Order: sequence, then C-alpha cells, then structure tokens
Amino acid sequence: MEANAKVITKDNSESKRNLNLKNAPNPKKEKSSLIRNNASKYIFILPAFLFVLFFMLYPIFYNIVISFQDVSIANLRGEKPFVGLANYVEVFQSEKFLISLKNTTIYTVSSIVFQLGIGFLLALFFNQKFPLRNFFRSIMLLAWLTPLVITGNLFKWLYDVDYGVINYILVQIGILSEPINWLGQQSTALIAIIITNIWIGIPFNMILLLSALQALPTDVYEAAKIDGANKFQSFFKITVPLLRPAVLVILILGIIYTFKVFDIILIMTGGGPVNATQVLPFYGYELAFINFDFGLSGAVATIILVILLCISLIYLYMVRKEESM
Amino acid sequence: MRQYSIKQYGLFLIAVIITGIFLFPIYWMITTSIKPTVDVFSTPPMIIPENIQFDAYIKNLIEDQSILMYLKNSLIIAVGTSLLTLILALPAAYAMARFKLKGSGVFLLILLVTQMVPGILMAMPLFIFFSNINLLNSYPAMIIGNTTLALPFAILIMRPFFLSIPRGLEEAAVIDGCNRFTAFIKVVLPLTKPTLLTVGTFSFLFSWGDLIFALTLTTDESIRPLTMGITKFIGQYGTEWDSLMAVSTIAAAPIILAFIFLQKYIVSGITSGSEK
Repeated sequence: MEANAKVITKDNSESKRNLNLKNAPNPKKEKSSLIRNNASKYIFILPAFLFVLFFMLYPIFYNIVISFQDVSIANLRGEKPFVGLANYVEVFQSEKFLISLKNTTIYTVSSIVFQLGIGFLLALFFNQKFPLRNFFRSIMLLAWLTPLVITGNLFKWLYDVDYGVINYILVQIGILSEPINWLGQQSTALIAIIITNIWIGIPFNMILLLSALQALPTDVYEAAKIDGANKFQSFFKITVPLLRPAVLVILILGIIYTFKVFDIILIMTGGGPVNATQVLPFYGYELAFINFDFGLSGAVATIILVILLCISLIYLYMVRKEESM
Repeated sequence: MRQYSIKQYGLFLIAVIITGIFLFPIYWMITTSIKPTVDVFSTPPMIIPENIQFDAYIKNLIEDQSILMYLKNSLIIAVGTSLLTLILALPAAYAMARFKLKGSGVFLLILLVTQMVPGILMAMPLFIFFSNINLLNSYPAMIIGNTTLALPFAILIMRPFFLSIPRGLEEAAVIDGCNRFTAFIKVVLPLTKPTLLTVGTFSFLFSWGDLIFALTLTTDESIRPLTMGITKFIGQYGTEWDSLMAVSTIAAAPIILAFIFLQKYIVSGITSGSEK
C-alpha cells in the first residue's frame, strides 16, 4: 500500500509528458492530449491484461459455467444442455469425492506441519555463521526445483519393496521387521506420498524462513542481552513473535502449493491403491480426461476454487494486517 | 579471508551431514544410473558405486534417440514460455509500478489469486478451448498453457523491482527527448538484467517441469515434452531402474546446470515471490 501511494504522489509530471506526446503521430492529436496520455500508459499493461483475461480468467470462469452443464466428448463442440445442480449432487454423493476431500486435508495439513517445522529448524541452523553457509542452503533447493515427475519416479525407486533403500535402512535400524510395499498397500501409500512431498517442500520453507530471520532487527537482541535475557528467552520472546507475520504468510503459501499437487500422485500411485491416495485435483483430472465427463470435472474444479478463495481471502487479510502494523 | 573458529568448523561439518542426508535421493538417482544392472539390484544396496559404466546413457541417448526429440520439445516450449512471459510481464510490471492506473490494484489481486489456482483448473477449460480452435498438439498451446503458470509470478516479482528504480532516471530521459516508450527501452530495460534473469529462469524451470499441460494438451508424441517422455519410459522400462534413473538424470541436468550458474537469481526469486 505504501508503495502505491508513492507512485500516486510521484505521478505529477503530466505536463512534461504531454509536451512530449505531441510529437507522436496521432490523427486525433488536437482533441485531448490527456486522454491519449492515459491511453499510452495502458498500452504497457494491455497485452498482459488480455492474456490474463482470455487464457486465465476465462478458463477459470468456464469451469463454473460448465459445472452446470452436461458436457462429454460427444457434445464438446455442440449444444451443451443445462442441468442445474445435477453435477454437484452427483459429486457430493460420490464416495470418491469424500475420500479425496479427506485425503487432501490429511495430505495438506501433515505436509505443511512437517515442512514448516523441519524448515524452521534448518533455517535456525543455517542462520548461524560458518564456512560455505550460502552454498549449503541454496544447494538444498535442488530438491524443490527438480521436476515433480522425476522426484516421483525417484521416490518410487527409493520405496521399492525388494531393492529400495528406505526399506533397507528401516529394517537395518530395527524399525521394520520386514520390507513393506509402501506404495502398494492402502495403509501406507498416503504416508509415502506425504513424506515425498515434505522432502520437496522443506528447502522452500527453509529459504523463506531464513530470509525472514535475517530481516529481524539485531538491536533488539542486543538490548535483550544487556537486560540479561538468555538465548531461550530471546528466542521465545523476540524471534517467535517477530516471525509470526512471516510464518503466517509462508503457511498460507504452503497450503496453496501443497493443495495443488497432482504430478507426484499421477506418477507414484495414480490415486490408488483403491483410492488411498485420491486427492481433489487428481479426481478432477480423472473425471475430465479419463471419464470425459467435463461437467462433473467442472463441479469439482468449482469446489476447489471456492476452497482456494477462502484460503486466499485469509491470506489477503493477513497481508493487509501485516502491512498496517 | 575471514578466520573461522573451531565451533564454526564444527557447524560446517554438521551442515555437510545434513545436506548429504537431505540430498541423498538425488545422489541415488545419479549413482543408480551409472551402475551395472547387477549392482543396481544388489542387497544390501551399494551406496558407493564400485563399477561405473554408462550403458544406460548409451542405450538412451545413442541407441534409442527418442529422448532427443523430447528434449527438443521441452526446450522449445520452455524457451517460448520464458520469452512470452517476459514480453507480457515486463511492460505490465513497469506500468503498474510507475503509472497511476485505474484498476491496477484489482489486477494485482487477480494475479495473486490466479497464481494459486491448480493447473488442472486451467488445463480442462484450455483443452476444450484449444480443441475448438484446433490448437491441441501444438507448441503455441503448450507455451500459452505454461505462461499461465509463469505470468502472475513474473509480474508479482518484477513490480517491486521497478518500484525500487529511481524515477528521476526516466524523467531525465524525457527531458533529453525520449517519450514514454523510448525512455522505457533505452533507460529502464538495461537496468533490469537481474530481474529478467530471475523471471526468465523461473519461467523456464516451471515449464520444464510441467506435466499437467503436457498430459492434457498434447497426445502426439512428436510435440510432447520430456516430462511426458519420462512417463512413457516408466511404462516401457517397468523396473529397469538404471535406465529410468539415466533418463531422469538427463531430464534433471538442465535444472542442475541452471542452478549452478543462476543460483543467486533463483534464491532471490523465491524470497521475493513470497513478499506481497
């Protein structure tokens, strides 16, 4: 908000610009230089605006439109009958939807808790000074940057029943008595996916928390030290409260990015076994591109939109609150 | 050179261990790809490869060259996405930082929200849209799809950057006889190299790793990018992990290279992306 205000107050050189634009070849030049002056500003933003309008907003709203229609591959180009809330009724009654909703919640919450927790511990560690610190903390980002298809495939190999390293280590240290088929049985498949996602998300959380830690004012700590506070006291009384706004924003971003995940489900389990790893985005994909029932898929998409809208409203509210502080 | 205490070298050692454990999966991917098949399936797992050979790479790069086609497609799509994103985002971010525009706040909000929308919500409507105008199975469709992922991020990162460039620069250029467009091109653009690299790298990485649009907007193998290529190899190789890990390593190589050379820009992109 402060930044916007700066732009507004600084935008006072209208006359200078008008002088200049008279050189521009424009037939309506004499009419009103002010209008053209404004128009030329909007030309900068026009291409991006049109792109967002046609290829982003229109598709998002099209999900809503189609959720009230009966659309299959047969009438994709033709007449699409209006069916009211029938798609929503069908989705809410399907067992798969409820399972996906439940799995998505479990998956998102547990991923976030561990990503944020481990990321925070690592951020505290990497916030200390030691040789090659910057190298270490940025190389960990490789986990986050690797395309999800590759990560999914790689973890399938790590989770392998007969030759996977994870089973081998767990059996060696005595946690497991015998190797288990992580991705092949209902009881462990979702846990395996969650662990994979935690691995992907840790460096992202760590880097963000680290930059928040480094933005903390150092003089407060010095003052606390002079007042006789020990390390624990200054951590819980200074670091934790000061980091709160940043952590809340990272939390919301994490929820939204975790909620999205589709690729590793497709590669690692395909939603199975028996829906054990079925999540909302994947369910929406299956409805549209396996069953070719675009109307139902639109209904699932709209439900996802509503959920995300609620989350992003919380996000915007927090950003506002933080800015006003 | 700065002098470090013994404690700091101790921390260094802990950092080596933490990073080593954390990045073990990546190490495992690379080492699996260079082991002979017998060693890949040895029990206990062979942590340090004893025999190194490149059979899996010879098999997948020289004998079977289909991966080259996927690489080419991924490259075309990723470079196309970066260019389109930059062309759209650069002037928009500039104008939003510099001019008093009506609706600029709303546009910013829309970008924030669209950034959060899962790809599948874009893919299904875009599939219907592109199939109606016969654009499925084309590079433009893939580039447009991926740009929807990259554009909000790009504008949100670039706008604060332009806010930080002193305004006096363009005003001086205007006095020297530039108009709004030439001032932007001659004075502002040359200063934007770091943010161009950040945004360009991220757009490239986003589209290099994309699976959703590749899966839904293409059916023709000759257009499909490497992520789809990998899913094909997964079906084809089953549990031939040495070949699968070789293919994965080849696909991850551009990421690792980009990371080595553009580390600074990647880290700054992530941190500024979370700011409002």
